[in-house]
Amino acid sequence: MSIIRKLSLILALLAALAAAQDNQDLPGRKTPSVSMAPSPVITVTRGRPNTVNLRFRVGAGFHVNSNQPKSEFLIPTVLKLSAPTDIVIGRVTYPAGTDMSFAFAPEDKLSVYTGEFPVVVDVRPLAGVIPARYMIRGELKYQACDKAACYPPRKLPVQFEVKVIKGPPPRRRNPGQSPHVHL
Amino acid sequence: MKRDPVVIIVVALVVTVMIVFGFQVARRNSGVTASAGPNMNGQAAPDFTLESLDGKTVHLSDFRGKGVLLNFWATWCQPCKIEMPWFAELQKQYGPQGLQIVGIAMDDASPKEIGEFAHDLGVNYPILIGKEEVGNAYGGVQFLPATFYIGRDGKVVDKVFGLKGRGEIENSIKKALAEGQPVQAQK
Repeated sequence: MSIIRKLSLILALLAALAAAQDNQDLPGRKTPSVSMAPSPVITVTRGRPNTVNLRFRVGAGFHVNSNQPKSEFLIPTVLKLSAPTDIVIGRVTYPAGTDMSFAFAPEDKLSVYTGEFPVVVDVRPLAGVIPARYMIRGELKYQACDKAACYPPRKLPVQFEVKVIKGPPPRRRNPGQSPHVHL
Repeated sequence: MKRDPVVIIVVALVVTVMIVFGFQVARRNSGVTASAGPNMNGQAAPDFTLESLDGKTVHLSDFRGKGVLLNFWATWCQPCKIEMPWFAELQKQYGPQGLQIVGIAMDDASPKEIGEFAHDLGVNYPILIGKEEVGNAYGGVQFLPATFYIGRDGKVVDKVFGLKGRGEIENSIKKALAEGQPVQAQK
């Protein structure tokens, strides 16, 4: 291939990249996306509190409000879960947001999540739950913006599977000694 | 003829820079986000009936004869919050020339909350409680802010999605005021 052809190819690629970049910069050209990283089956022990780590990813170029946004009008990111009976969903712990300012308001700091962020959920199967796999479902409510526009609140369906196992048998205290035992 | 590779590389670089620069210029000159939603420029702006925060029924056609800036916004939209004080100033500046700014709140917040929010930003123009069908009539307002500039004849002269600079907003206002004949407002 001659050097001219090679250069033409490189030029065409660069032009396509420039066009793609151009499109990405404009609000509305890309849909904001928040996704949940695939979660393996999580083993939880019945009768005990367990911690489940979920990971979410905000699409490049977008941010979502953290769980504690700095204004009452901003819509926080909130995970709501519903579990089968006898599996109790406890506290949901969100990471602190990153304080960021954006071109549209350089003097204002917003508390946001960008890229990947974890959410930790306390799961406690009651002692009477039959050991098996259970699906826990819910939704992550978020509201995304890019550098110039904001998108209506959305709900991301969330689900993960837990495998409930029996806990180790409770420690047995030393059996009471009968005063009548004679060895 | 033997070509000098250095010359070829320089030429290639210049051409690439021109292509990239060309895209940027084209984007700035194209009304930028005009590609979002259908092209409504030159078409009659869909009329609507909405309720204002003070309980009045408002039609877009009430403002026929004026240049209208129709701004879709929400309390959860930070960029909207930036431009609303500009709109208040521009309403003062261009109101005497026939500009009417109208805000449509696409919000789940209560009218009281919306009113307080607007008051805090110094809004001096009517705020209407939005309905999805009105957003749909304007091509589906998928993100905010979304602003339509309507000439005195009721035709859309420009639409802008996302936050723009105050200068660009002012230019579009001038365009709306220049379009159509100033006529008596009709009910």
